[in-house]
Amino acid sequence: MRGKNERMQAGMNMKKSFLKCFKSNFYFLFSIFVISTFLTAGCGGNSEISKPAVTISVWHWMTDRDNAFNELAKRYEEKTGIKVKFELYAPSDSYTQKVRAAAQAGTLPDIFGILAEKRDFASFVIAGHVANLSPDMEKDAGLWKNDFFSRAIAVNEFLPDNEFRVTPGIYGVPLDVMNIQMLYNKDLLKQAGIKKPPKTLEEFLAMGEKLKALGIQGLVSGWGEVWMIDCFASNYAFNIMGEEKVMRTIKGEVPYTDADWIKVFGLFKELNDSGLLANGIVTMVNKTAEQLFANSKAAFAFNGSWCVNVYAGMNPNLSYGAMFPPNYGEFPMKIWGGAGSSLLVNDRSLVKKEAIDFLRWLSSAEQQAYLSEVTKNLPANKNCLTKISPILSDFSQAMEATTHPNIWPVHEFPQVIEAFDKSIQSIIIGEKTPQRVAEEVQKIKERELQKRAR
Amino acid sequence: MKDGASKYILKKRLELVVIYIFLGIVALTCILPLLWMFGSSLKTQGTVFSDPSLIPAHPEWRNYYLAWTKGEFGIYFLNSIFYTAVVVFGIIIVSSLAAYGFSRLKFPGSNFLFHMFLAAMMVPLPGSFVPLYVLVNNIRKVLLNFLTAISPQLAHIFPQGFVQQSNTFILNQVFPRGAYVFCMINVGLSLSIYILKTFFDKMPKELEDAARIDGCNKLGIWRHVAIPLAKPAIAVITIFNSLNVWNEYILAQLILSSKETMPLQRGLIVFQGMHVTDYPLLMAGMTMTAIPIIIIYLIFQKYIIKGITAGALVG
Repeated sequence: MRGKNERMQAGMNMKKSFLKCFKSNFYFLFSIFVISTFLTAGCGGNSEISKPAVTISVWHWMTDRDNAFNELAKRYEEKTGIKVKFELYAPSDSYTQKVRAAAQAGTLPDIFGILAEKRDFASFVIAGHVANLSPDMEKDAGLWKNDFFSRAIAVNEFLPDNEFRVTPGIYGVPLDVMNIQMLYNKDLLKQAGIKKPPKTLEEFLAMGEKLKALGIQGLVSGWGEVWMIDCFASNYAFNIMGEEKVMRTIKGEVPYTDADWIKVFGLFKELNDSGLLANGIVTMVNKTAEQLFANSKAAFAFNGSWCVNVYAGMNPNLSYGAMFPPNYGEFPMKIWGGAGSSLLVNDRSLVKKEAIDFLRWLSSAEQQAYLSEVTKNLPANKNCLTKISPILSDFSQAMEATTHPNIWPVHEFPQVIEAFDKSIQSIIIGEKTPQRVAEEVQKIKERELQKRAR
Repeated sequence: MKDGASKYILKKRLELVVIYIFLGIVALTCILPLLWMFGSSLKTQGTVFSDPSLIPAHPEWRNYYLAWTKGEFGIYFLNSIFYTAVVVFGIIIVSSLAAYGFSRLKFPGSNFLFHMFLAAMMVPLPGSFVPLYVLVNNIRKVLLNFLTAISPQLAHIFPQGFVQQSNTFILNQVFPRGAYVFCMINVGLSLSIYILKTFFDKMPKELEDAARIDGCNKLGIWRHVAIPLAKPAIAVITIFNSLNVWNEYILAQLILSSKETMPLQRGLIVFQGMHVTDYPLLMAGMTMTAIPIIIIYLIFQKYIIKGITAGALVG
């Protein structure tokens, strides 16, 4: 028994001395190892540890497209062997923060997007963060460029002598587009005995009585968010007096008291008098308007192409179509629209060529049709309209008739826009006449012009 | 006399009624959003805005399963638990040591340094995004160079594949997580130091003298006297910082790049599209994310009042 204890004691002593020896030597060896590696660290290159096959890194903010992007990345890898890694950063505010920080640190990914105004876009280009895609877009008589709706390209293009002094060129690849039109509920129109959607304002106004008799609301829209009123009025301003006269009004050469503008204001009175406008449309937010239309509580809606996605979520069985706002004047109607999302190539990317090739593949008709089918957005590629759903195709066909205040050569004063929109609201609630509204808006316009002149 | 007493009782009761009505309204404004969130999590996308009932007649419990699987909550939950535990532990250790130092060790410029910490509370987090990102990125570059340099030596000892995998693991998993944890500790320090210093300032010095007589050094006094007495303040710090780290996403998104390292909030953005938000799943996800923080709050709530009125209770 005693011998056993002694053996155990001896064993423990040995173990202790071994541990002590190991500890002291380990620390010594480890220190030498760390010092030597630190000394040699400066000799290391900047390359990553293991050199992988070509990988393209993409930063995006489009939550609803993330799965579709990953599926397309998988297909691209199968086809070319090039791995594309989509990284989602959302919401858009924090995505913007990340992109700005990465631009300052010089760590932007190979492909990214900028969610900002053209001025910021220009500053990224000037700083050398964005590749000029014109040579690729224009190659083979503009084969790639001609795939897109012109409006989609315009957002990504800097023209010669642009105000930002950016080298002229195309700096982004549009993925989707959007526009704002009118929608009609097929079942409700049928119920009211209306065979086809209205082409002219007279036809439209005549439908008001029929719908009212059946207790069906006419037009719903988010006119509580005043910019949608601005959009609707702008459509008819182009239609009634033409683009040139609208621009001259903004320049201050034509007064808002002009007969054509009174006709634009008067349109809202006529819509209201015919009973077409839904109850409470003046304060209605777009979410409510979408809910009412999706639940077949209104026959018409004025909404953007994103509504296809919204209605699919709210009521997948909704039977509806898209239409141009009914014609009221002699000039072509112009609706608001433009590019939705675009992706840019990092000019300093080590895989710039591969990144451009990937974007070319992503924006081709087949991939665009897939994206459109899955995400229910309008494709930027005009060659895939036959491959997408009829409602999206309806929306897309109007793309060449779109405009947007951002691309107009002149811009209206914010104070005038505010007065313009609010005055239309007061026409709808019967507070003011079109004539009075025109005078009030013109008064504010003159005041702002005088301020500018000073 | 009797009349006066009954008038007094009536007045007191009336006061109580007014106070309770006021508190009831305040409580309702706090509880109603939670109830709406829970109720909406049991509705469908079609009924979420059309069904006015708080709890629907036919609850969609499946939303919770869908939110968990679609939002890939499993990994994010673990990440958030890890970040919250490590950051809060780090804040408690660093801030209690710093606060004790500021309170007891008088050195030149101690007041100035303390006020610098307080000033840091005034700097909004977005203001430090770019410098933080640049700093983290530069440290990563140094680490990358270091690993590139030691790899050949390590390859003599370990298999090449193991070295490469370890380096990738360090760069893609350990480093971003570590960077995020350190940044978040930094974010939570100012307020925590302020709360604890106020607490330690009012702690009787006699208790420390007694500990010194018993043979404690400064660190021992911090460990055996200051920390046990500061439990209410530490509870407040724990709640504040847990809430902050659990709900934090902006900094995480800036520093972390891989999906596998992201916290719980990453799971929620899946349900918020550019134009369409899947409200039932979003609400189900939010309900699930709120539960752990509510539990932490319930555990520590009794300390909150103690912590806030800390000075009066010390010793």
